[in-house]
Amino acid sequence: MVPDPAAPPGVVCTGLAKTWAGGLVAVRPTDLVLKPGQTTAFVGPSGCGKSTLLRMIAGLEQPSAGHVLIDGKPPAETLRKAGLSVAFQDPSLLPWRSVRGNIELALSLARRPVNRASVDQLIALVGLQGFAEARPAELSGGMRQRAAIARALATEPQLLLLDEPFGAVDELTRQQLAQDLPRIWEARGTTTVLVTHSVTEAVMLSDRVIVFSPRPAEVIADIAIDLARPRSAQDARQPRFAALVEDVFAALTRGAALRDAALAAQ
Amino acid sequence: MTPGPMTPGMTAAQPRPATGSRRAGLAGLGVIVLGWEALGHLLGGTFLLAPPSAVVGYLVENHALMGRALAATLTNALAGFVLGNLAAIALAALALIWPAAQRVVTGVALVIFCLPLVATGPILRVLMGPGDGPQIVLAALAVYYTTLIPLLVGLRAAPSSWFDLVRSYGRGRLAALVHVRMRAALPYLFAGLQIAAPAAILGAMVGEFTGAERGIGVLTVRAMRGLDVEMTWAIATLATGVAVMAYLGIGLLARRVLTDAPPMILAPPAEPRGRSAGLAAALLGAVSVLAVVVLLWGGGLALFGVNPFFAKGPEDVLAALFWQPDAAQTRATLGEALVETGVLLIPGYLAGLIAGAGLAIAFTLLPRLAITAMPLAIALRSVPIVTTAPLIVLMLGRGAVGTVALVAVMVFFPTLVACLHGLRQTPGQVTDVFDSYAAGPLQRLVRLQIPAMLPAFFAAARMAVPAAVLAVTVVEWLATGIGIGTLMALSASVSDHDMLWSAVALVAALSALGYAAVGAVEARVLHIYAPEQSR
Ligand SMILES: Nc1ncnc2c1ncn2[C@@H]1O[C@H](COP(=O)(O)OP(=O)(O)OP(=O)(O)O)[C@@H](O)[C@H]1O
Ligand SMILES: [Mg+2]
Repeated sequence: MVPDPAAPPGVVCTGLAKTWAGGLVAVRPTDLVLKPGQTTAFVGPSGCGKSTLLRMIAGLEQPSAGHVLIDGKPPAETLRKAGLSVAFQDPSLLPWRSVRGNIELALSLARRPVNRASVDQLIALVGLQGFAEARPAELSGGMRQRAAIARALATEPQLLLLDEPFGAVDELTRQQLAQDLPRIWEARGTTTVLVTHSVTEAVMLSDRVIVFSPRPAEVIADIAIDLARPRSAQDARQPRFAALVEDVFAALTRGAALRDAALAAQ
Repeated sequence: MTPGPMTPGMTAAQPRPATGSRRAGLAGLGVIVLGWEALGHLLGGTFLLAPPSAVVGYLVENHALMGRALAATLTNALAGFVLGNLAAIALAALALIWPAAQRVVTGVALVIFCLPLVATGPILRVLMGPGDGPQIVLAALAVYYTTLIPLLVGLRAAPSSWFDLVRSYGRGRLAALVHVRMRAALPYLFAGLQIAAPAAILGAMVGEFTGAERGIGVLTVRAMRGLDVEMTWAIATLATGVAVMAYLGIGLLARRVLTDAPPMILAPPAEPRGRSAGLAAALLGAVSVLAVVVLLWGGGLALFGVNPFFAKGPEDVLAALFWQPDAAQTRATLGEALVETGVLLIPGYLAGLIAGAGLAIAFTLLPRLAITAMPLAIALRSVPIVTTAPLIVLMLGRGAVGTVALVAVMVFFPTLVACLHGLRQTPGQVTDVFDSYAAGPLQRLVRLQIPAMLPAFFAAARMAVPAAVLAVTVVEWLATGIGIGTLMALSASVSDHDMLWSAVALVAALSALGYAAVGAVEARVLHIYAPEQSR
């Protein structure tokens, strides 16, 4: 059977590991299966290797062992079709292009037609209306991040990789974005990976939260989030939500204790 | 990282001149003109100094002659400017496509840049005959290196995440070049072009010194021979004015085209990723550079079938220096000339560096003065000082003082501007930390600002080496009658081509070595004080 090219891809990581040139182990061999159309959150302490893992899935970093398959094919294949987008941890906007110019650049790099109206719509969606012609230097840190999210969404990817997309955004805007943005990728059935430091955000946005240990990253918990969609800010007050947040916290704490024990054993 | 997509190399950007500082600069200029006028009248009878009124009078009276000469010079300067910068772009492209070649490309480019114009001028005159050829080639030689260096930095100045972005849409090196590298390099290209504009005028004028038919360089020589004070001052003023205008014009264009201002300091290009930087690699690089230079030199002469009577190859120079019966005599003559030059060059170079850095430091303690001085210094930095050599000779005489002063002035302005700039680069947050400990201005200067200034200071010191050599050889040639500059001029006029080519090879090698030595000190200093720039 030929897979539908428009259908969201599944991602399979097998024994995926990264050791940096200096001998620093960032990611221990990891097996992961991300189901098509699901949103998965990666949480873990700072510096544990989440970004590295995400970049290996995107095909931007060469794994030192194991491999990634997107829809059964290596990431290079997906890259060639411009089938994925990454919102990088630092917004990586080109300083000489306006917000609109940056989004349009992504479209033309991905060889997609540039539709002014839909670009405007995206800019409004991330709350940057009135700033379409502003250059990155004229934006705040959070505004730049939102511009980067708009750029990642613009090419309508089947696989969306978001590295702390709301890191520099204030709490209220963050909630608003957490409300509005998932609707886009859910409606398109995009397979999404979201790296975040906010446990509530991870629970709110995803179908599944994967908790990593301190570096080198290792999966220490894989928690299914079985809350109904669409979700709203009120859902955060449900006891079920609170219980899930508690689970994630417990796993994170366990991870930290694991490292302390390892240190003590030395 | 600082908020905003600042790249490491871009941190040394020129601030846009505020109208206030522009006004202060104009005021400073006014004071200078008035002082000059007064001095001119005071020294009226001494044949030293023509006041501005006399200069303007002369220019008005002889505007037809001056206009024709200026047009001829500017045409050649423009042709050289275009050719030299195209060559720089081609070389930068080569180093980008073939990173392993970067060390050799920059090394060979440096050696060629260090060829003393004073000697290449007459040689080119013999090879190319009368006409515009030598002027254009010298103008091109004077500009290409100062464009190549910032361009190499600029083409690698983009942070890696911008390239990841391009790759994440499945695009390759070509798309990265078009969408990221070329645009990121543009401010650096403009920085090079801005320095190149006055340098091209200087190159064209030195070419005209070697016996052209038209041009303000020809008139300069005529005025000096005739001890025509007014004419000398008028030509120097004209050349200076045109050079400053070319410099400011390109700056204006840059501000139109760019969102961020061009960098002010010509930082050294980093080795491309994955290249070793050890001593062995440096030695290998030096040997490869030597091999390529010898190959280009010998091969070029053979290829163009130049008459071996006046075109000497590497083997001829070696023979002249070591094997011929009079080799000892040749070596002694060269050594003597080099010592005569070095004795004036080194004090002048050091004096220029010390004065530039010292004044910059003084200015930070007296910020009001700095506001007036900065725009003036930036404008004067662009003055091709060599074209004012006749003035300095007029005023300070043909002795040691005049030469040392000229070299010092040549080094002084770029150093001052770079250091002022470096002193301003102290990151704001760090200053805040110091303020929070109530550290005094002197504390702050010693602990914070001077270390922050060092990268700029050394970049200026490195670029000043060839400039100082150029200044000293030109003034020796035009005026003082001693040293290696005069030896080259004399050998050219008596057709002692063995001596001429040996001197050229020696001067080029020594200035390239001096440049490399300052560069090595710079690399150590950057490693300590600005690790992000020494990657
Ligand atoms: N290009 C690189 N070369 C060498 N080491 C690297 C490189 N990039 C990251 N590292 C190291 O790999 C480890 C994991 O980094 P990574 O960026 O994946 O962490 P992270 O989990 O995303 O952290 P954070 O939450 O702070 O973003 C860190 O210890 C880091 O120092
Ligand atoms: Mg990260």
